[in-house]
Amino acid sequence: MPKETKPVFSEVQRRILRMAQADLPDSATPYADMAEAAGATEAEVLELLTRLKASGAIRRFGATLRHQKAGYGANAMVAWYVDDEDMARVGKYMSSRREISHCYHRINCLDWPYNLYTMVHAASPEECRRIVEELVRESGIDDYAMLLSRKELKKTSMEYF
Amino acid sequence: MDSIDRDILSEIQSGFPLCARPYAAIGEKVGLTEAETLARVRALKQKGVIRRIGASFQSRKLGFLSTLCAAQVPEDRIEAFVAEVNRHPGVTHNYLRAHHYNVWFTLIGPDTDSMRDTLASISAATGIAILNLPAEKLFKIKVDFSMHKPAVDPSSQPG
Repeated sequence: MPKETKPVFSEVQRRILRMAQADLPDSATPYADMAEAAGATEAEVLELLTRLKASGAIRRFGATLRHQKAGYGANAMVAWYVDDEDMARVGKYMSSRREISHCYHRINCLDWPYNLYTMVHAASPEECRRIVEELVRESGIDDYAMLLSRKELKKTSMEYF
Repeated sequence: MDSIDRDILSEIQSGFPLCARPYAAIGEKVGLTEAETLARVRALKQKGVIRRIGASFQSRKLGFLSTLCAAQVPEDRIEAFVAEVNRHPGVTHNYLRAHHYNVWFTLIGPDTDSMRDTLASISAATGIAILNLPAEKLFKIKVDFSMHKPAVDPSSQPG
């Protein structure tokens, strides 16, 4: 998947984005606080964030929850083998399922033949299994590996700025 | 967590308002004052339900690439391998999974070469081979969770 050209940001904009990639200031006026810290105006902060959200560079602007505490204690990565000519159909079907947060077509290799990856979230491992059985039935794809999570070893947000 | 908390979480997961008084805007939608809304969001952060509020970037649109990596690590070497993997800032997610490929992590980097170098350095330091599975196509990324029919009562979950 080719990357896109790296956008250029001013030092003030980078300061704003460094705050936006972490946690907003805890106040009733977070954007005014960010502006003051970055040496910009509140309008400039709002314009930059709104523009990047519209362009898709910010794919989501909002609260990130801890899944476990929000009632989603289990996840399974399911790696599927899908024929190339069937990939569009299966990718579309998997993406339509609300229990699936991520769905990627990836290049497979000799040691690992699977080429479609889905992240399934549920309250328990048993429920993950039940959902996967349903995915198998409804997609018609039965060549897969289900990898239940045993432990979260790291989970952070990338520091781009 | 009550139904108003769930309404707030639902609102602010997908879109925290980009306006001067965001808590007033959220409050208007869920029927609370600005001060009440801010107090509830603070409490949800304190309880650990909210990890952070901010921007999630699309790495590709900022000129970065990401890949999924896997390794088969013997049980007694997991700790050392994970320590070596996790010290790289481009490694953002890492999970131990029930499979002979038991360690799965994501790596974000500025270009393919530097990412290959990172993986090679981890393998050199640990003696463990790593599968590199770059994305060919993104079908979906949406990590909002339905707040209105939680599969279990979140307050009953052990911390």
